[in-house]
Amino acid sequence: MRIYEELFIIKPDATEEEVDQIIEQMKGVITTASGAIDKVDKWGKRRLAYRVDKHREGYYVLIQFTSPPETVKELERRLRVTDSVIKFLTVRIDETLKRLEKRKKHREKRAQRKATAAPAPAQPSVAAQMLGTPEPLPERPAEPRP
Amino acid sequence: MLTQKKQYFRRKKVCRFCVEKIDDINYKDIKMLNGFIAERGKIVPRRISGVCGPCQRRLADAIKKARNIALLPFAAQI
Repeated sequence: MRIYEELFIIKPDATEEEVDQIIEQMKGVITTASGAIDKVDKWGKRRLAYRVDKHREGYYVLIQFTSPPETVKELERRLRVTDSVIKFLTVRIDETLKRLEKRKKHREKRAQRKATAAPAPAQPSVAAQMLGTPEPLPERPAEPRP
Repeated sequence: MLTQKKQYFRRKKVCRFCVEKIDDINYKDIKMLNGFIAERGKIVPRRISGVCGPCQRRLADAIKKARNIALLPFAAQI
């Protein structure tokens, strides 16, 4: 089971119901192949960077899902067949997510190690104050230059 | 003829991603990607942006994906 992300563009003149219909169709393709939908994000109408099929705007939809690899072929075939979909992009993100998790854990461990090491050198000064020993010398005033 | 002027000193270039500890260079984040494309839409070379090797590769990948899905232009008009 791999995690994928599908970003596709629907023609801007499609109604909300048509958009929802297409999303439901794609969700159906994924679930029939024993996949799971992680999230659906509708970006709405956006200006395209270049003309696609004579359109300058498009309705972007993002679907993140987990599924076996063969489902992607079927999903892309469906998207290609749908007239309202003008562009689509499938990205496999399970390795990326794994790498990000690893880096995050690594950073958290390092932060923890720093947090436990930092109080140690600060302790002697606190103890010295409690014992009543004089405070450490203040910084030397700037010597007047000749 | 004036040849390419030699750089006698080179200020220490730091990779923006390594310093700010940004791991995720996402193709969907065009606000961030816009800082690495030139006026005509070309990808800025590493020696100018100061990005490190692995990050530049990921950046180029992300820009190419964004171009494919019409988030960034292939060739923009200045």
